[in-house]
Amino acid sequence: MLKWGSRLAESPQAAPPSTPPQADTVVTSKVFPRFLAAMGHQPSPVLLDLGPVVGSNVSFFGERLACKLYVEDVYSDIEAHAKRGERGQLAQFLATRLTQAPDSVDGVLCWDLFDFLDRPAGLVLAGQLARMVRKGGALYGSFGTTPTELKHYTRSVIASEDSLRHRVSAATPVTRTVLLTRDIIKMFDGLIVAESVLLKSSTRETLFRRP
Amino acid sequence: MFKRDEAVKPSAPMPTDGPRTETSRISESDMVTVGTIGKSVVIKGELSASEDLTIEGQVEGKIELRQNILTIGANGKIKASVFAKAVIVQGEVHGNITATEKVDIRDAGSVDGDLAAPRVAIADGAHFRGSIDMQRAGEAKALADATKPAGDGVKVDASKPAVPAGAVPGVTSNAPQSR
Repeated sequence: MLKWGSRLAESPQAAPPSTPPQADTVVTSKVFPRFLAAMGHQPSPVLLDLGPVVGSNVSFFGERLACKLYVEDVYSDIEAHAKRGERGQLAQFLATRLTQAPDSVDGVLCWDLFDFLDRPAGLVLAGQLARMVRKGGALYGSFGTTPTELKHYTRSVIASEDSLRHRVSAATPVTRTVLLTRDIIKMFDGLIVAESVLLKSSTRETLFRRP
Repeated sequence: MFKRDEAVKPSAPMPTDGPRTETSRISESDMVTVGTIGKSVVIKGELSASEDLTIEGQVEGKIELRQNILTIGANGKIKASVFAKAVIVQGEVHGNITATEKVDIRDAGSVDGDLAAPRVAIADGAHFRGSIDMQRAGEAKALADATKPAGDGVKVDASKPAVPAGAVPGVTSNAPQSR
């Protein structure tokens, strides 16, 4: 009886059914693994994440890189400006938004942030980020190539080393800023393009490195 | 026969509270000592303890539980530097948190400050703004030791034996509940 009882107690309980959000899509990335590899060569790298905080990403970076991670949710700043009808002031705002010193960061995660910034704001932010990246550091970003209306932000959740789960949240609609590759290269003055891949989703993933 | 019956017979009446005594003895030895600071309590200064602590009130200053777990409850509001073995945040924290093992920010938790711990868990829906330093355990411990003051400087004595949940070890308050 005791054994039977204990066996009953040990039997795995029925797990609650997992209900993944319908809108999530998993995208294979060829450039993100390169970013991880670049960070893996740095002892205790310093990362700057410009997206909203994602708990599983934090855990991933902690276990994988034992890094220091700055979370600066610039998307929320963009949305706040958009709601106030002040997108035009983003360039001025972003000039002082980030406080990290030059040459203080090993890796930057921009995600698709530049799709939501007009050219002046993008130029200001890109210049700052380029200065923050240390020698040997890397910057990861993706850039849309079609001028469609963006009605949502995409939160990139790291599903594995080479795939990202895209989780969407509502945004004040804005037409995507499409940047030519040569313009992107100019914006990040001081960095070089180490990898650039055009995905089927018409998004260009780019990895910049500071030589 | 008579003697055998006597031997079988209990020499003394069975104490009515025997099993209860045994139960309490077991529970005392196994009980995890957890103190609670109630939600009407406001502490300004330095708070240290050598037992696990749950804060539902307000603390401003510094909190040190170097060998224990600090839980900031849903009603807890902290404006302090926090040092502990592990920190669970369900309320609000404005200040830096250093843990030698883990920081866990639950879905209703909010932290504005820098985290330093080998493991950090942030639930979906939690608010966080700051930096996260996920050093290796040894490095984090060294960091915590480096910031340890020379004296204990105990302001609130929370090292007494177990107290029932809701009681405040070393602190009494008759203040009305603010929430």
